[in-house]
Amino acid sequence: MRLSGAAIFSLGLAAVAGYAVYAALAWPQKAALFPLTMGIPLLALAAAQTVIDLRDPPRPAESAGDRRRVLAVFAWMVAFIALVLLVGFPVAVPLFVFAYLMLQSRAGWGMSIAITAVAWGFFYLVFVRLLHFPFEAGLIAIGG
Amino acid sequence: MIDALVQGLLLVLQWNAFTLMLVGMALGFVVGLLPGIGGAATLALMLPFVFKMTPVEAFAFLLGMHSVAATTGDITSILFGVPGEGLSAATVVDGHPMAKQGEAARALGAALMSSLIGAVIGAAALAVSIPIVRPLVLTFGSPELFMITVMGIACITSLSGLGTRAQIKGFAMGFLGLLLATIGQERQSGILRFDFGLTYLWEGLDLIPVLVGIFAIPEIIDLAVRGTSIAGSAPAKLGSGVWQGVRDAFTHWWLVVRCSAVGVFVGILPGAGGGVAQWMAYAHAVQSAKDAGDRSRFGAGDVRGVLGPGAANNSKEGGDLIPTIAFGVPGSGAMAILLGAFLIMGLHPGPDMLTKHLSVTYSMVWTLVIANVITVVICLCGLKYLALVTRVRGGLILPLLLLLVFVGSYTANKQIADLLVTLGAGAVGYLMVRYGWPRAPLVLGFVLGKLAETYLFISMARYGFGWLTQPLVIVLIVLTALVVAYPYIQERRTRAA
Repeated sequence: MRLSGAAIFSLGLAAVAGYAVYAALAWPQKAALFPLTMGIPLLALAAAQTVIDLRDPPRPAESAGDRRRVLAVFAWMVAFIALVLLVGFPVAVPLFVFAYLMLQSRAGWGMSIAITAVAWGFFYLVFVRLLHFPFEAGLIAIGG
Repeated sequence: MIDALVQGLLLVLQWNAFTLMLVGMALGFVVGLLPGIGGAATLALMLPFVFKMTPVEAFAFLLGMHSVAATTGDITSILFGVPGEGLSAATVVDGHPMAKQGEAARALGAALMSSLIGAVIGAAALAVSIPIVRPLVLTFGSPELFMITVMGIACITSLSGLGTRAQIKGFAMGFLGLLLATIGQERQSGILRFDFGLTYLWEGLDLIPVLVGIFAIPEIIDLAVRGTSIAGSAPAKLGSGVWQGVRDAFTHWWLVVRCSAVGVFVGILPGAGGGVAQWMAYAHAVQSAKDAGDRSRFGAGDVRGVLGPGAANNSKEGGDLIPTIAFGVPGSGAMAILLGAFLIMGLHPGPDMLTKHLSVTYSMVWTLVIANVITVVICLCGLKYLALVTRVRGGLILPLLLLLVFVGSYTANKQIADLLVTLGAGAVGYLMVRYGWPRAPLVLGFVLGKLAETYLFISMARYGFGWLTQPLVIVLIVLTALVVAYPYIQERRTRAA
């Protein structure tokens, strides 16, 4: 019996269900009926799956390279969200695309500039000019 | 009636109406490709522009846009695994694996052809059923509508494969989806559920960030890890693939027709929405597999998993319009906005639309058909070039896909928090894929959750437990039990044979 990634995921699901049931018990019947009806079977199923995962032989783990690439994608996503918060979408879009192409994809100056221009042009044309979409300004612009 | 039908066609083909329909279609094409800005949101954005139009021009513009958005949403779903529309997520399940196997063109051809067939069937249903549908819809009360949602949820079993382990995971994900749908303020008592003190969660989680995160981000990670193009080293079948996809729609003709009927029916039901129609059709396609072996092909790139949702996605437009036109009860959010257009035009849905303004009603039918025919013809001509995108080096399109995902999630509600929800849903989606948990039941549960709770509440408040003994409810309970048991019965039969 070994606490594999799969078992941790199932256990996490059981914990979510357990919390949902626990929280719902404090609500009036009207509000609690549906979450309890869904939470209790989810708790039972997730617990059963945890037992199955604990008994199963562990799956082959990701290679270090794969894990690094997965983490890199998540890091880029977090960076994009941070960029949007700081400078707003219209500035974050070209900055992000260009930085990703140069640093992660190693695409070269010409290709990076061309793709960034296309991405930004499309974004500007559709969202800003055509749909007049109200994007929030970033914290830096608000602060300034 | 025939006169009105012909007159409706002539009205749509008038220069102004036709041109406006083309403008609407061009807009719908772009909107369909982008995740987040759904057809409904665009309808709302474009509503102020119809004030100076005649009713026929306004509906040609709005419906042309709306119906094309539903069709082109399938394109990004198949090519990138990013649902272009909230409604086209079911196409990802089999469409994107086909693209990874070098069959993007075939999947696109199948999706477009089934969309066209679905649109024509939906429009035909609208044309013939308006006078007769009213009594049928009025027999469905909350208990029956609740049982229909339960039946949809029961289809989860068929979406998650056979065997106890697969069933445990499938049901667990379905329940999790239903539970996630309870986040936010409970409508009857006003109690805030699972809000963790965040005002953002009062309205509950929005469908778009959850959908896009769960489906698109794992595909993006997969692309990054593989370090190749979407299609990898799979052999490309571009030109021939498109026509093979078109032929597939006719090879599986009855499946396409049945899924179109599912779309029309779900469209007619108030509040059910297009996402439900697609998943119901997908579940039906899986259910109609011959045996367990045949069923196991779904999710790995089976063209039937593309044909079913594609057909339902467009046929539901006709279905949606039926209650909207016949008695002013919109079948979906988009139709509620369209109802606004009726009022702007000075038209009142109901008997007038079936008598005095019958030609306007039929002009809507023709708009649905003509807009879809034009879109499909244009797309089919350019598909093999579109499918070439799956051959581009992954590293070059990855930032564009991430952009599509996050801009799409943001534009649904204009909330930065939606970006975090997308990221969180993406992480969960990635772990689900890694540990073999099915994503489709989670989404179906999430889509149906709010509806199911509302119908259950009304049924209990009105009839107590007595709603369970109503004849139509009993029929639906039996059907639901059959839906759950069918894969096992089928398996047993195959073994006996």
